[in-house]
Amino acid sequence: MKALQITKYGEIKDSLAFNEVSKPTVQARDVLIEIKAAAINPIDKSIILGNFQSMMPISFPSTSAYDVSGVVVEKGSEVNDFEIGDLVYSRVPQEQMGTIAEYVAVISDAVSKKPGNISFEEAASLPLAGLTALQSLEYVGIKENDKILIHAGSGGVGSFAIQYAKAKGAYVYTTTSTDNVEWVKELGADRVIDYKTEDYKTIVKDADVVFDTLGGNYTAEAFEVIKKGGKVVSVVGSLDEETAKMFGMADYKLPEELKTLCEDKEASYKFIFMHPNGAHLGEIKSMIEDEKIKPIIDKVYPLSESIEAFVHLATGRAKGKIVIKIG
Amino acid sequence: MEELIKKVNSIIDLSKEGEAYFVSIAREKATPKGTILIREGQAVNKVFYVTSGCLRSYCIDKNGKEHTLQFAIKNWWISDYIAIHSDEYATLTVECLTDSSVIEFNAKELNGMLTLFPEYEPFQRNLLERHVLSLNKRILNQLQLTASERYDLFLEQYPDTEQYARNYHIATYLGITQESLSRIRVEKAKK
Repeated sequence: MKALQITKYGEIKDSLAFNEVSKPTVQARDVLIEIKAAAINPIDKSIILGNFQSMMPISFPSTSAYDVSGVVVEKGSEVNDFEIGDLVYSRVPQEQMGTIAEYVAVISDAVSKKPGNISFEEAASLPLAGLTALQSLEYVGIKENDKILIHAGSGGVGSFAIQYAKAKGAYVYTTTSTDNVEWVKELGADRVIDYKTEDYKTIVKDADVVFDTLGGNYTAEAFEVIKKGGKVVSVVGSLDEETAKMFGMADYKLPEELKTLCEDKEASYKFIFMHPNGAHLGEIKSMIEDEKIKPIIDKVYPLSESIEAFVHLATGRAKGKIVIKIG
Repeated sequence: MEELIKKVNSIIDLSKEGEAYFVSIAREKATPKGTILIREGQAVNKVFYVTSGCLRSYCIDKNGKEHTLQFAIKNWWISDYIAIHSDEYATLTVECLTDSSVIEFNAKELNGMLTLFPEYEPFQRNLLERHVLSLNKRILNQLQLTASERYDLFLEQYPDTEQYARNYHIATYLGITQESLSRIRVEKAKK
């Protein structure tokens, strides 16, 4: 089968190639998905550039990407939740990475039936960004009337998180650039802050939650805008001690600055490491079918142009998700 | 089962032997919510008579989106008749939207009634006529009625189904978007 593979760490155009590879085989708990669409995310670009080579080393060549939608064409002997012919979507686990291909084998725990009211392309755009947003906002227990600041509202994670928080009845502040203000408003955000002309720190006061999707200074700044006892949840900032232990870093300590900020505000800080989860995708399926959340797609590329799709991703200017149509 | 026999006997006079055979080929089943009775792409040899609950048949377009063809509530029959009569694989999926009870028949065995008990034929013909009528009406309604009128008809034809079906099930049955369905509901609520 045809697959887009990472051949080495380096610049996108030099490190990706279409190769003919063998069709994956299923283990007892896997389903084999005939891929209809895949989506790419910033992490896929970072993997190619080698930014994660110490944390998540890959062997070469490796088929790229994690997000997928398609049809179950084969299943392992221990799979009971899926049948041949089921239309599904997934964020495949690290060890099964490789969705820019004709088939992928995925452990069934990481798979869900796809929402019935959207296309394969739209379904493929959801898993990684949707799971990241859902797992972060579920962790903080976002609820009605909570005030939340979601950074980067026009990104894949931000645009999903805005809709999720609104569906839970929260008041949503979000930041974005001038060009994106209008369409981000349409996602339902109550106050869209144009970071080019406004200082969010003077607008957001006493937030219950800050969802940090940017890292850097933004993580520490979150404590300036949360209320006493508020929560900061990050997907890019420093690890918290509990998460670090999960990764085997038993001696890890939260950076002093963050520790002090937490103490001063009696606040909590949590780093969320998105994990593949079919049940969570099932929750997303329901919310999509009830139109509480809509997929936001920037552009759909054919498989033959998937390297160009990565180049587009690397510009960081996509409004929503970049999808590759395969089947 | 008794109710179905009564229905049959309200149209024809089925002999005792015919009734016994009819009962012998019927399988009463409890089907929990989410059960798939017919799956697109697979062989079909069954038809279902609904005794309780709500079912739906739908097709999937090439983009992967579902479109509802029919709902079935108490006393309705449901299957993929194209597949059965053309001996092709299913183009429809039939799923239970609620915990339901159905009486399952093997289509060939049910057709066998016609040879073994010719008095059964008018019942079968009546079913077929009603099925054709209902399909023709559905096409005409789609061509002639406004979305709001089609929604009214849906409410009349499938009482309570709105409670069980998701909005996109109903919207695709009516051939409209979910946004349009919400708009129609809001307008009706205002009246």
